Amino acid sequence: MKVNHIIEILDSTSLKNLSAEQLKIVQIHIRDCMSCESAYQAAKISSRLIKQRAQTTVEPSPFFQTRVMAAWRERQAIENTPVLSRLWKSAGALVSSMAVTTAALAALSFVIPAPISTSADETTAAYSAESVLLGQTPDDQMSYDQVLSTIYVDGDEGK
Amino acid sequence: MEGWLTRIATNTCLNMLRSAKRRPESAVADLTEDETAWLGQQTSSVGYQPRSVEDTLIAADLADRVLDVLPAEDQLALLMIDGEDASVKEVAEATGWSESKVKVRAFRARKKLREAMEKLLNKGRKSQVGGPVTHES
Repeated sequence: MKVNHIIEILDSTSLKNLSAEQLKIVQIHIRDCMSCESAYQAAKISSRLIKQRAQTTVEPSPFFQTRVMAAWRERQAIENTPVLSRLWKSAGALVSSMAVTTAALAALSFVIPAPISTSADETTAAYSAESVLLGQTPDDQMSYDQVLSTIYVDGDEGK
Repeated sequence: MEGWLTRIATNTCLNMLRSAKRRPESAVADLTEDETAWLGQQTSSVGYQPRSVEDTLIAADLADRVLDVLPAEDQLALLMIDGEDASVKEVAEATGWSESKVKVRAFRARKKLREAMEKLLNKGRKSQVGGPVTHES
């Protein structure tokens, strides 16, 4: 049997709660295993000490009753407080900050007018890949008439 | 109502235990002569019965010192289950912990206590063989 198994049995329950079978396994094992014998002795003495300790009557400190009563009153106060009030106490800061943020966003969206854009601006603002590559600014673009004249001149030359 | 009050009292006890200054593990090694003798008696006697009030007091004092090694929660679980024969369910109800947590705490406490006791016993044996006990700082 593995050494660990005996120790696990010792730690799993109080010695007095060991079944007859478990006790037999332990007794047989500790005859040959010194380390487990030592662990068994230690567990036995620990068990006695705990029993002794539990039998000793401890006088509670003078503050014990005060503390229990304070905890009692605190608990009762929590129980008597309405649910909404408790919720507000715990999440009030978060809700307030969310409301302020929402109001600020609404103000930015509806109250402050957006700049009016014209179609002419949009045309000038448009950049083609070619113009970017050639380093041309939108101002360099040809007007409609220039384009027409260029096309027809080219067409005439072709003839 | 009873359960509620039990839980409040248990939690108050736990808080008091937590706030009490715990001794470091090395302090457990500083045994008095009476305690060393008591431990020696335990290892030699088969069926132990406390012989006198003094014996009981020494044992209680030693128990206090050894239990100080454990965290407050582990002490509580071990004393209730092994000392007062409370069931896991009863401890769970009194503390508000889950049953598996109670089991784990009791297991851990038993293990730690056994290991601390083993160290003490080994130290006692060595001192019996090699002369007076040298206290660790």
